[in-house]
Amino acid sequence: MARLTRRSTVAALAGLPFWAGGWSGGSTRAAGTIDCGATTTSAGGRAAAATPVAMRAARFPATGGTLTVFAAASLTDAFTEMKHDLEASHPSLTVTLSFGGSQLLVTQIQQGARADILATANLSTMQAAEASGNLVGEPVAFAANSLTIVVPTANPGDVASEQDLAKPGLKLVLAQAAVPVGAYSRQAVCAYGGQAFADKVAANLVSEEEDVREVLAKVQLGEADAGIVYQTDALAGGDKVDEVDIAAGANQLAAYPVAAVKGGNDALAAAFIAYLLGPDGRDVLQRHGFQAP
Amino acid sequence: MSTIVTTRHAERTVRPAPAAVEPVPRDGTARLAALRLGVAGRLGGAVAVLAALALALFLVLPLVAMAGRAVVERGEWDAATWETLRQALRLSLVTTAVSLLLTLVAGTPLAWAIGRRTFRGASAADALVDLPIVLPPAVAGIALLMAFGRYGLLGQYLNLFGVTIGFTTAAVVLAQVFVSAPFYVRAATAAFARIHREVEEAAADLGAPPTTVLRTITLPMALPGLLAGATLAWARALGEFGATIMFAGNFPGVTQTMPLAIYGAFGAGNLATALLLSTILLLVSGLVLVAVRWIAQHDW
Repeated sequence: MARLTRRSTVAALAGLPFWAGGWSGGSTRAAGTIDCGATTTSAGGRAAAATPVAMRAARFPATGGTLTVFAAASLTDAFTEMKHDLEASHPSLTVTLSFGGSQLLVTQIQQGARADILATANLSTMQAAEASGNLVGEPVAFAANSLTIVVPTANPGDVASEQDLAKPGLKLVLAQAAVPVGAYSRQAVCAYGGQAFADKVAANLVSEEEDVREVLAKVQLGEADAGIVYQTDALAGGDKVDEVDIAAGANQLAAYPVAAVKGGNDALAAAFIAYLLGPDGRDVLQRHGFQAP
Repeated sequence: MSTIVTTRHAERTVRPAPAAVEPVPRDGTARLAALRLGVAGRLGGAVAVLAALALALFLVLPLVAMAGRAVVERGEWDAATWETLRQALRLSLVTTAVSLLLTLVAGTPLAWAIGRRTFRGASAADALVDLPIVLPPAVAGIALLMAFGRYGLLGQYLNLFGVTIGFTTAAVVLAQVFVSAPFYVRAATAAFARIHREVEEAAADLGAPPTTVLRTITLPMALPGLLAGATLAWARALGEFGATIMFAGNFPGVTQTMPLAIYGAFGAGNLATALLLSTILLLVSGLVLVAVRWIAQHDW
């Protein structure tokens, strides 16, 4: 065995990055591409069940308590308003909200995070939670949302239609493919122009974010020329962003299911789902730009 | 003791031997008090040992659990896992090497200037350099965006020349230098401040030119401190997450370093990949720390 010397150790340490730099693996790229063959099923799946009558009737118990809601990042503004409404009308009730990419919320619940309610932005993430035995009862659809392109108001990339997403040199930000909006965005790109168009769009991708609000933030700051978010996020983006419509034929309709989480407070969860599906919940959702399921 | 030293060197002066311990008086009450103190002391000692063991276990257990689970989940690794690892590890090693190089080149003279109090306001600079250490990474991310973002203080002028830093590997390096350089500068400042000025002056009096003094006296004497600081800075850069994801974005092979790839894989429900990357990062960091320690302890 060669004797280790201080000099040789220093040399080895200094050489580490170069060794790594020269290390070339297979030709498959782990991410950063848009594969039109692979993304078609992730948002689909069976439709959420119709609402059982009993679910609509549940009320918040007079004893109150703490309701913990894990919700998709796109629900941030609507659910925050609901929290204030509910806490105002039920003084003994505390609502705790946790927002993030649907896929991250499901992972957290699977790893033992305590929650009463899970609301995701697509069916496949909800089905993953169902398959791992983390839900009580059937998920119910409560809202729908469509996609839009957002650009900074100065529109540095001069984006006027989805065709411009393929313009060479454009700085495009999408959510990563495992995030619901990331999957929908890729489907919209594929539906618009097929694989050849999708390849050009993928070449413009500069960042893959963990949830839709991070996509919006990068566009609001003006760091990115364009991003694809939900219609409701574009609304929440205020006057810092402008919308560029995605043609109806290519646009995707995101379905939002909600379910009670196993190990949570069933009474509170049922009451929240009833509120969400009832006129008050619908009203809040509608004002934030969500469509009926 | 009549050695004349400056206050900075005070800790090096030989202190008078401590006064001999007073013998315990040989009457009963005092002996009892001493005994009780002994019991309390022994109890306290036992509690301290238990607490120390508990903390040591607490620090090691999660890492063992992680590495063990990584092995359990190895069946889930596929081509995409290895590709993610290859791109992220390569990017992490290259960017942290560049960050460290920049930190050493610029941080060493800065630390020397501060440590030797060569300019007015050096002590203020000393305190300022520490600031990024206590800042949460998210604050670093926002601050970097406001300075170097496309519409940032400096970034807007760079943008005029078609230079954008966001979403590039350069942004990753900037984020790493911002959060890690203070660790090096702090350690190096202390190392330079500790060196006896007389040794350097003696060498100069014997005719050594300043560069020789620097090369043969100052740098070798400061070396252990510089090495410790460089190790800390490198480790901090390797773990950098918050400022990177906010300022540089997240793209495989360009800005997705190991911590970002781990977070992304975990968020995507790909626990096996997250585990593998975490364990590899643990091994690489451990190897580097051991190697540096070995370099520091052994003489040429």
